[in-house]
Amino acid sequence: MTINGRRVSIDADPSESLAYVLRERLRLTGTKISCDVQVCGACTVLVDGLPVSSCTYLAYEARGREVLTVEGLAHTDGALDPLQRAFIEDNAFQCGYCTGGMLLAAHAYLADEQDGDSGENVFEALAGNICRCTGYVPIVAAVLRVRDG
Amino acid sequence: MTAIGTSVARADGPLKVTGQVQYTVDTQLPGMLHAKVLRSPYPHARVLAVDATAAAARPGVVVLTAADLTNLDHAFGVALRDQPIVAIDRVRFVGDPVAAVAADTPEAAEAALEFIDVEYEPLETVMDPEAAAADDAPVLHPVERPRAPMFVGWPAERFRGSLNVCSGYHVEQGDLDAGFASADHVFEDTYRVPPIHHGNLEPHAAVASWDHRGHLNVISSTQSPSIVRLQLAEIFGLTENQVRVVVPYVGGAYGSKVYAKIEPLVAAIARKAGRPVRLVLTREEVFATAARHACTVHIRTGVRNDGTIVAREVRAFYDTGAYADTGPRASKKGGYLAGGPYRIEHQSLTSYCVYTNKAPAVAYRGFGVPQVVWAYESQMDDIAARLAIDPLELRRRNLIRDGDTFVTGDVLRNPGLDEALEAVAEAGDWGSPVPEARPGFAIGRGVACAIKSTSTPSNSAASVRLNADGSVHLLTSSVEIGQGSTTALAQVIAETLSIPVSRVTVSLPDTDVTPFDQSTISSRTTFSVGRAATDAAAKIRQQLMSLAASQLEAAVTDLDVDEGSVFVRGSRDRSLTFAEIIRRHFGSPAGSLFGDSVFQTRGGLDPLTGKGKASATWFYSAAAAEVEVDLETGKARVLRIATSADVGKAINPAQCHLQNEGSMLTALGSALFEEVVYDAGQPTNSSFLDYGMPSLEDHPLEFHSILVEHPSEDGPFGARGVGESVISPVAPAIGNAVAAALGGARVRELPISPERVLAAVDQQPEARA
Ligand code: FES
Ligand code: FES
Repeated sequence: MTINGRRVSIDADPSESLAYVLRERLRLTGTKISCDVQVCGACTVLVDGLPVSSCTYLAYEARGREVLTVEGLAHTDGALDPLQRAFIEDNAFQCGYCTGGMLLAAHAYLADEQDGDSGENVFEALAGNICRCTGYVPIVAAVLRVRDG
Repeated sequence: MTAIGTSVARADGPLKVTGQVQYTVDTQLPGMLHAKVLRSPYPHARVLAVDATAAAARPGVVVLTAADLTNLDHAFGVALRDQPIVAIDRVRFVGDPVAAVAADTPEAAEAALEFIDVEYEPLETVMDPEAAAADDAPVLHPVERPRAPMFVGWPAERFRGSLNVCSGYHVEQGDLDAGFASADHVFEDTYRVPPIHHGNLEPHAAVASWDHRGHLNVISSTQSPSIVRLQLAEIFGLTENQVRVVVPYVGGAYGSKVYAKIEPLVAAIARKAGRPVRLVLTREEVFATAARHACTVHIRTGVRNDGTIVAREVRAFYDTGAYADTGPRASKKGGYLAGGPYRIEHQSLTSYCVYTNKAPAVAYRGFGVPQVVWAYESQMDDIAARLAIDPLELRRRNLIRDGDTFVTGDVLRNPGLDEALEAVAEAGDWGSPVPEARPGFAIGRGVACAIKSTSTPSNSAASVRLNADGSVHLLTSSVEIGQGSTTALAQVIAETLSIPVSRVTVSLPDTDVTPFDQSTISSRTTFSVGRAATDAAAKIRQQLMSLAASQLEAAVTDLDVDEGSVFVRGSRDRSLTFAEIIRRHFGSPAGSLFGDSVFQTRGGLDPLTGKGKASATWFYSAAAAEVEVDLETGKARVLRIATSADVGKAINPAQCHLQNEGSMLTALGSALFEEVVYDAGQPTNSSFLDYGMPSLEDHPLEFHSILVEHPSEDGPFGARGVGESVISPVAPAIGNAVAAALGGARVRELPISPERVLAAVDQQPEARA
């Protein structure tokens, strides 16, 4: 599969989740596990541009696909993505444990918006990502600011 | 300088948006094993035998059972030392650790657990704290447990009942009977709060290893590195400098990670394995490790026709679960705060800390206080309704004021409570007509306010280092749990030294290097560590001034500091940068200056009278909610909410607002749907599939966070603290709004579920429904 633009090939047990492979085999620990049952969104990564819960998504399913994790959001020259910058400027996190998943869910939402496919509003798009720290207000503000330029 | 009161960007921002930030769960050490824990399936049972031979025979597997707890003091606890590392002869809740296994992978460890045979003899269980306090209740700890040295205990015998009452607190003033005799109305109600889950997204995690000196190294997600070091030293018979506790960034805690939790077990199995061992709890295990205290509150209040509260009696039963943990302290705090932020001449306040066969209840944002606020602020609106006084006005008439003496004997200075209350009332359009509800719905408004104290006595040390280039490092054991301490502490130092905030970095805890701090709890970091850091920075400023005085040939009194330079007042051209002062001092551009300081708060309550000095600072908060109730389903939805907190001085306003917003939403969850459910001793919703926490869809459509600034006497730049303030008034504000919507029908037990709303309406036929 391709991870953050880099082709990787790994031997993994078919029962291994994508989160396990990312975290324990590839040491991409920006992807977090919290509930392990596809509820909290902390483990959200994008597979071919679509958000998935990597805690329950089998690594096997990602064969030949493009996976984007939080480590791949910054641009290749090291510059932060506008969404990352907006999260910092708007204080869209505290402990940061939900942040990777939140950024990727928001990233997918913004990409859809750019394609003119506004089937969801931002509240729906992020409803599957729990943040226990912030109360969401600055998260929504940051995403909307990027969306509206 | 304007470092204070400025919402500077978080110091940890770039780490957290890129995934570079490291939490304990991300730790990997060479040769590290992974642990799994075998836990009790019974809520209460005798452990007759544990046979781990088959498990231990598996390749690469290390097993820890009670038989290995030799050569150490196996019981821990910060108030009572009642919690064994693994069960000795009895298990006391479903999830109580019985044995642990370490292996090369978590899967191998998990698989080995199947090979441990445990023989249990089930015992009678008790799940309700009030029933557990009765003298015929099944007893969880038949032998009284030793007190931890740090805990100023209350003689529990005074409060028994059964041995399950492990602690109690009582305070009184005036003459209760005379007070009630002088009342025109007496209100007597019982309020209940269930256990709830902290919801820290990062589970508890720890990695332990032992080196060849016999020293113990622990990396942990704890909120209390200094105290965990002390607890581990006690358990393993080490001195404090033989234990090293390192705390990376913490992915949410809210009290769940205060004091030793899994660290003793991980250290014990690592000792046996002779290799580093990591334990990361599953979500189900987090549920079995920490909860907020369930509580039953009996509250009786006497009021005159004009709304003056003249007498109040409260008896609160705190359910601490199977082990005391911080229960004796949380119930004490809830006990003396149970009368509320009101002038009440005659009071008798009692709290009981009681064992039951539930998972241990531990510190939780608000520390025993939201439970009693739910009771007294709900009852307040029943009083207002009966006397036909506006609820806001009723509170105004009874509020404590500047200079009042609290029931504990503390004199309250400059409380921002009335301002906090008026602010939320205004933001919530209190007094204006409630909007017309859709057909089949009703809308109501409610307010509530609260007072909370901070852990006292306590102490925090700070060590500030000025580098040769003029940059500054703060060494502190306070934990970055997301609250923004690494940012706010940099701000107070920057202000004191008149340098840009970007010139200051703040350490994470490493007890080999960073000085003692009580714990990152009780909204105390900005207040206590912030004060220590400010004082330490002031010492550096002083050194710079005296060095510069000789270098500039001027009197110290003629010098001032600005923008990283010391200058002679009135002639700015006679000035030296910090770097230049150091270079001249050492004769080379290398070296550093140190400033150390300890901030100690004094006080405490007398065990017999319950009086003394309860708190070094006080937190005041209020909330106003507007709630829509679906009359058919009973479902309540918060339309608008305003919260306010007296923060003393907002060091970083944006971070203060975040604390308020997060507190608000967590409290909203506890008000409307959060509850850890037990059925015959078995927990039934220990998963996020079944335990709902507020998502973006539960967020009120309109939300205001208001910061009130009535400076404290001792906090840095007048700061008080903010982490927990707003958690308390939100649930009763919502409950009062629901009752207002339903014409007075009141739910007295949290959460305010649709079933309870419908039942309350049924019981009150005159309610508008
Ligand atoms: S950890 Fe995957 S959704 Fe929670
Ligand atoms: S920032 Fe802590 S859970 Fe979202």
